[in-house]
Amino acid sequence: MAANFWTSSHCKHLLDPEEVDIVLPIDKERGISVEDFKLIKLHMANYIAKLAQHVKVRQRVVATAITYMRRVYIRRPMTEYDPRLVAPACLYLASKAEESTVQARLLVFYIKKLYSDDKYRYEIKDILEMEMKVLEALDYYLVVFHPYRALPQLLQDAGMSDATQLTWGIVNDTYKMDLILIHPPHLIALASIYIASVLKDKENTAWFEELRVDMNVVKNIAMEILDFYDSHKIITDERVLAAMMKLNK
Amino acid sequence: MAAAAAAAGQLNLEESPSWGSRSVECFQKLDQIGEGTYGQVYMAKEKQTGEVVALKKIRMDNEKEGFPITAIREIKLLRKLQHDNVIKLKEIVTSPGREENEQDNTDSNNRYKGSIYMVFEYMDHDLTGLSDRPGLRFSIPQIKCYMRQLLTGLHYCHVNQVLHRDIKGSNLLIDNEGNLKLADFGLARSFSSEHNASLTNRVITLWYRPPELLLGATKYGPAVDMWSVGCIFAELLHGKPILTGKNEPEQLNKIFELCGTPDEMNWPGVSKMPWYSKFKPARPMKRRIRDFFRHFDRHALELLDKMLALDPSQRIGAKDALDAEYFWTDPLPCDPKSLPKYESSHEFQTKKRRQQQRQNEEMAKRQKLPHPHQHSRLPPIQQQSGQAHHPQQWAGPNHPMNVSQPILSSGPSHHQYGKQHGPPGGQSRYPSVGNSGNGFYPDRGGQGGNYGAGSYPSQGRGQQYHGSGMPSTGHRGAAPVGYGVPPNYSQSNQYGGPNAGRGHNVMSGNRNHQYGWPQ
Repeated sequence: MAANFWTSSHCKHLLDPEEVDIVLPIDKERGISVEDFKLIKLHMANYIAKLAQHVKVRQRVVATAITYMRRVYIRRPMTEYDPRLVAPACLYLASKAEESTVQARLLVFYIKKLYSDDKYRYEIKDILEMEMKVLEALDYYLVVFHPYRALPQLLQDAGMSDATQLTWGIVNDTYKMDLILIHPPHLIALASIYIASVLKDKENTAWFEELRVDMNVVKNIAMEILDFYDSHKIITDERVLAAMMKLNK
Repeated sequence: MAAAAAAAGQLNLEESPSWGSRSVECFQKLDQIGEGTYGQVYMAKEKQTGEVVALKKIRMDNEKEGFPITAIREIKLLRKLQHDNVIKLKEIVTSPGREENEQDNTDSNNRYKGSIYMVFEYMDHDLTGLSDRPGLRFSIPQIKCYMRQLLTGLHYCHVNQVLHRDIKGSNLLIDNEGNLKLADFGLARSFSSEHNASLTNRVITLWYRPPELLLGATKYGPAVDMWSVGCIFAELLHGKPILTGKNEPEQLNKIFELCGTPDEMNWPGVSKMPWYSKFKPARPMKRRIRDFFRHFDRHALELLDKMLALDPSQRIGAKDALDAEYFWTDPLPCDPKSLPKYESSHEFQTKKRRQQQRQNEEMAKRQKLPHPHQHSRLPPIQQQSGQAHHPQQWAGPNHPMNVSQPILSSGPSHHQYGKQHGPPGGQSRYPSVGNSGNGFYPDRGGQGGNYGAGSYPSQGRGQQYHGSGMPSTGHRGAAPVGYGVPPNYSQSNQYGGPNAGRGHNVMSGNRNHQYGWPQ
């Protein structure tokens, strides 16, 4: 991605974890808890990834779309911005912003194919309208930096090129959480490499120490990711469904 | 509405409003300064502060694919680029009544309905509009000053890995402080050297398009912009556009005639370019830049030669160009602030003036009168005397024009927006992009490039460029009309003036070409 992360809006707008997990009052009234909030965002991240597979866009587009979606819900209530519409609208917008344009009618086609549930049914005009609202919610900041870019070089430098696929997968999984709103992307990349080296039993302490990054932060991010993997195991479809039900009027 | 604006104003004291949250009603439209299918560009005043801005309308009503990707590119990149020589996007405002849930949606017949506006800082001129001004000539220090700013802004874009991809005079905006800023990032995109993604070669207005794109390259870099800069540089010094092909083959041919034909010696790899065999010239031609432009000074010629290198890998970059001798030898570039202040001019407006002039000429022709004193762009003033040259020749109510062109002096209030499409005999400033069925930039049509309101005007500037063709040694000193042009400069003259010089200039004398042009 072009330009420098440190001068970017992305960098300036990084948030504290507490700021990310705030359920807006109007959503709270509906009984949406912080847990529900996280679950719905996770579910929508999966939805975006699933849709993206069908319309065939790059991983970057998926990552940007999920980031948009997560940014939207910092400012906008889920009860007014239905995630089932926001998710495809974010994918639609991200496909433009990342130069892999997807036609709206194609999205609508696959939405219908993937979900028979009426609550997911939206038409082209709904997506176009929501695209505008998303743009406003994002304050027209469209540039997102991702951990992917730094990954190949870092892995090569760490002598871990053989773990590329594993690490890439871990980075993909970080989008199931809000990490991209909180941490600079290169630290997310390093945390993913850290986990990969543990999983691969690769001793990399010296390499990490030479990097002149705060290893505590990297380890904390890694812990968050591992915690997420743990909690992810116990998420059931019923829980997700229950959370989604609270959105319905 | 006023109350709402005031309330919003109080809230906004500490923090700028979030983009898209304000209504276009916060601005009072003053005058249209550009036009395109992308949308109109208006000069407007912020009601609260009185600040003058440019509003670029993003037309949404007949968009099948939502927010136009060109606008997305532009917003995305401009939010990232912050530089004195890059136009500043201040805000985005929406028209009221777009959302059903808006409170003050009482104005039912709102004509801005369904539109988004990009709010830019206002710039008084664009380079084309300014240089097309009858009788106006840039001084050498002035040209150096503009060129240096152009290169500085472009260098900034390139180090930030942004290709502009539509560098041309009407996208270079100039304010009355002499500042030049790059505008219209609707075709721009970010590139990265490691990601070797394929890019479209259907970019850059034809006259400014580099040979590698014309030969079908899909992997390219900042050098494409540098070619355009070279074309503008030569245009400024020469007084008119230098490579004025009306379609892609002709454009390439013109490039070859000036810069020589490419071969594996001067451009390794050229024979493997996608369309090389298609466009391969029948006979090799020699590079003749130094011959054509021998009236340029040595340092200018040296720099131009490097900018117009056929092989993109040998073409000079923005940074090296800034270090060129040209900018560091007398006469030095002047301070922007020392430049004369001109009455507002945009290509959109000068074009309209010219239409009126044309009508005038038609009248004169019919009456069998001698032609009114026509003009073409004038080459620069050679002496460094700098400022305030020929102030009496600047168009505008305050500066009486040459008496033979009375209608020309239209101030901003005389514009007739209904009339700009397809005047009889109107010529295109820029032929449309591509040859055929080019669906790539459906929203890039229209006219008036300033602020990016459509980069490929479907009709455009005055016809005088068409008769002129390439500079030719044949009409050196051929009785330039008025203005005391140094004898060394060729001056084109569309009314039977010496436009030949080179027999295969198919454009000569044919002023109605655009009807046959692929759009």
